[in-house]
Amino acid sequence: MVHFDEWQVLTTSLTVAGRAILFGLPLAILAAWALSRPVLPGKSILDAIVHLPLVLPPVLVGFVLLLLLGRRGAVGMWLEQTFGVQLAFTANGAALATGVMSFPLMVRSIRLSFEQADRRLFEAAAVLRAGPWDRFWSLALPLAGPGVLAGAVTAFAAGLGEFGAVITFASNIPGVTQTLPMAIYSALQLPDGESEALRLAMWSLGAAVIGLAAAEALHRWSRRRLEA
Amino acid sequence: MSLRARGATVRRGTFTLVADFETPLAGVTVVFGPSGAGKSMLLATLAGLNRLESGDLALDDRVIEDAMARTRTPPHLRDIGVVFQDARLFPHLSVRGNMDYAVKRAPADRAGPGLEETARQLEIGDLLDRRVRNLSGGERSRVALARTLLSRPSLLLLDEPFAALDGRRRRAFLALLARVNAETGLPMIVVTHQIDDAAELADHVLAMRDGRIVAMGAASEAMSRPEFLSLLDTRDLGARIAARDISGGDTLARGVWVRADAVMAAAERPHGLSARNVWEGRVASVVREDDGARVLWIATRAGEIPARITQAAFEELGLTAGKPAWAVVKTHAL
Repeated sequence: MVHFDEWQVLTTSLTVAGRAILFGLPLAILAAWALSRPVLPGKSILDAIVHLPLVLPPVLVGFVLLLLLGRRGAVGMWLEQTFGVQLAFTANGAALATGVMSFPLMVRSIRLSFEQADRRLFEAAAVLRAGPWDRFWSLALPLAGPGVLAGAVTAFAAGLGEFGAVITFASNIPGVTQTLPMAIYSALQLPDGESEALRLAMWSLGAAVIGLAAAEALHRWSRRRLEA
Repeated sequence: MSLRARGATVRRGTFTLVADFETPLAGVTVVFGPSGAGKSMLLATLAGLNRLESGDLALDDRVIEDAMARTRTPPHLRDIGVVFQDARLFPHLSVRGNMDYAVKRAPADRAGPGLEETARQLEIGDLLDRRVRNLSGGERSRVALARTLLSRPSLLLLDEPFAALDGRRRRAFLALLARVNAETGLPMIVVTHQIDDAAELADHVLAMRDGRIVAMGAASEAMSRPEFLSLLDTRDLGARIAARDISGGDTLARGVWVRADAVMAAAERPHGLSARNVWEGRVASVVREDDGARVLWIATRAGEIPARITQAAFEELGLTAGKPAWAVVKTHAL
């Protein structure tokens, strides 16, 4: 009977997804804000790039990351030589791949809350002497706050289950990059691994359900907040 | 202060606003006209919320927007405050938070009453810790006014600020505006389609129809011009009478709109009447209306006052042009 350290798998999953969201969130907010502007040069191109991971096969995303950021990739080589940073086959790499995959989910949810905010409030803020950046920090972000959180939580829950991109770019290393879905996959490769896989699946299901419930609660809070 | 618009053009769908005027900004300037005349659009344009397609706008000698030269001062730098018809309070902040938003961004060198003092003056001191979604329409209007005053603009624009208010509260809000104007000297531009509000508040008038200015000038003079009167419904036809010519008038009001329907015409000096306002004069002109009723324009020292009378009354009194006549109005009809 094989044994997976469930606790280790779970913490690896949580830290990988957590880091992915933490670092992806500021970028996602920026992209969502840009995409919520009525006029923006190159908007459709930005929109396409942001949504690409949603429609590409995850394995392909992992492969592209490997080509770019692998030890022999253009950016990867520079990173290693300049900063001594290696991404491929590391926990950081797993977080990066997860971040890229969950990015469109985050942007969509955040963009929706930016777009739901009443344009007229921004005019009111402007004539109260708030400049564009001031309006972003004092109005757009606080109004979209719950929506931003909801987007982050949804992306986090989805990130826990990211498989294809992560296994391609960061591999399946127990204790380093082995997250829940990879542990389930590994368990299923072994004879008599099914009961172990089932237990891991329960953990995975639990985390997903909690994440979805939290996101839904935040969405409801967000709607209430935007009603004046 | 003065405000100048030269061919300032804004287009929205099929509607075009072309503003061409120069008006002194002292006291209260009322922008008057029927719904859909472009009054709110003019206000938003002055505040910088609409982009000019052509023409320019200047406050005193400071050009704030020039479509040709492609220069425009963005709204947050125009030093113009706006109280919107729909209040536009920030839903994520309390009443105090909304007011504080303005305080934090007001220029430090402008004196004026602080947050607590302003709240007391506008009678919203008890609301400071309330959420804005729990306020009534009247409370919202007052909070919006307080917030804008606290940002200490040098020009205040108000877009039908009393639209959400009923009779008594409306009167209180009008009086409040007149008081704020008297106490601070802050020039105001007030949009309204209610002729009574216009007569009560206006020192100057800009009258609009279909996106154009059709009459402007001092209220005492501009509101009696034919182009101005042509904007009114038949039932609203009347004359502005200055507050000083009225017995028992509100001291803060500039004037009162007297409707032709509320005026009685007498061919002899009336006596034994309860009415306090009797103006002596002569019939200047008689206008026959479709149903045979006549509007007598009686020239008095308070200006020409119209009286609408029935055909029978007209024939009996024989008040033709040039005859002496008295215009009689009950104080409570004012």
